[in-house]
Amino acid sequence: MSNRCLASLGFLVAMACASLALAQTWTPPRTPDGHPDLQGVWTNATITPVERPRELGAKEFYTEEEAAEIRKQALVPLPTAARGGTEAHYEFTQFGLDRTQFQVAFSWRTSMIVGPEGRVPPLTPEAQKRIADRAANAKGHEFDGPESRGIQERCLVWGSEGPPMLPPGYNSYLQFVQTPGYVAIVQEMIHDARIIPMDGRPHAPQNIRGWLGDSRGRWEGDTLVVDTTNFTEKTNFRGSREHLHVVERFTRVDDNTIRYEFTVDDPTTWTKPWSAELPLAKDKGPIFEYACHEANYGMANNLKGARATEPK
Amino acid sequence: MRRTLSIGIAVLGLLLAALPAPAHHAFGSEFNVDKPIALRGTVTMMEWVNPHSWIHIDVKGADGTVVNWMIEGGSPNSLLRLGFTKNAVLPGMEIVVDGYQAKDATNKAVGKALTFADGRQLFLGGSEPAGRGESPKK
Repeated sequence: MSNRCLASLGFLVAMACASLALAQTWTPPRTPDGHPDLQGVWTNATITPVERPRELGAKEFYTEEEAAEIRKQALVPLPTAARGGTEAHYEFTQFGLDRTQFQVAFSWRTSMIVGPEGRVPPLTPEAQKRIADRAANAKGHEFDGPESRGIQERCLVWGSEGPPMLPPGYNSYLQFVQTPGYVAIVQEMIHDARIIPMDGRPHAPQNIRGWLGDSRGRWEGDTLVVDTTNFTEKTNFRGSREHLHVVERFTRVDDNTIRYEFTVDDPTTWTKPWSAELPLAKDKGPIFEYACHEANYGMANNLKGARATEPK
Repeated sequence: MRRTLSIGIAVLGLLLAALPAPAHHAFGSEFNVDKPIALRGTVTMMEWVNPHSWIHIDVKGADGTVVNWMIEGGSPNSLLRLGFTKNAVLPGMEIVVDGYQAKDATNKAVGKALTFADGRQLFLGGSEPAGRGESPKK
């Protein structure tokens, strides 16, 4: 850790290192079997984008001044004009979808993706062709029937569920439950519980594949490490499907924060592995059920809309 | 000044980049952004269902004919966090709803916001573009 601090310069980093040093002396609460207690409700709502805006170049962190300004602006509702599309006037400061209404896990990072590039590496030629072929096959058939709609609209898996687990945009809450043999993570969007065995068993055979892959957990010191493989070709994480390999690391760094890091790898999709980091902030909860398929009128309405507007 | 400006641009970029993700389904194929509507009606039923809530209202036309409309709102989870309660919308209440009509031209619409008789407003947090802070897309 000290090398990492020395490699970066300036007051900001000195502050960051000071807080990291504090984090290192902080002792997490523990479960009866002695591991850090990650249980409870957490939010990954954020204002940090996955990829770094290009104009920021290699700048990995905001300065304290910039971070404060961003925080301030994020805590003020956007003016009506900036939202656009509203011909009627509404009092956005009273009710709205602003993050002012929700807790947000703030970070000084300019992007979730770590490192000087801060962006997803280029796709391999193979992946580019695969993606283009799929798009060409789907073109003109997007509304043929329920099966041609995305798995998110079909209430199967939410796009951000992963792993890696990314903020869904709204209802951004997760609940952790630990037992001696398992860690379970429920994401409010869309409804799934990841049940992660902690007993050192190997991954399921290659022919057994899951919407959320097949996860195996272990403790490395006070960090929960989860390795996931065996995805299906039906899920799509930025172009990566059944060959996706994800390693997640959860470290409780203070009372209110879990540091969530992940590295993804798929040689058939990206030219190199890439890593990201985002905080999970403690939330009072509760999380609610999101029984997505309960009344998915939207599916039928979408198809009816498509039928009504296609040439007769 | 230049520094403030550059921070401002970075902030704006971030806010735009981090706006809430699209709602559950394709707004553009279900609802018609060229058909904004405003309906005054009496609530007949509130469906607290996922992935989107639906409010049913009786709307009386100029000729006295009553037509039942279905208005899509956000998920119950979102509505609760936006300030709705179980008793916020009850049968018999008179409300005004602004939204966009369904593309299949039936009496369905996505709601942006509703206004109660006493002037209070609640956002419906549905799939409509402005509810997500975006400009309408077709």
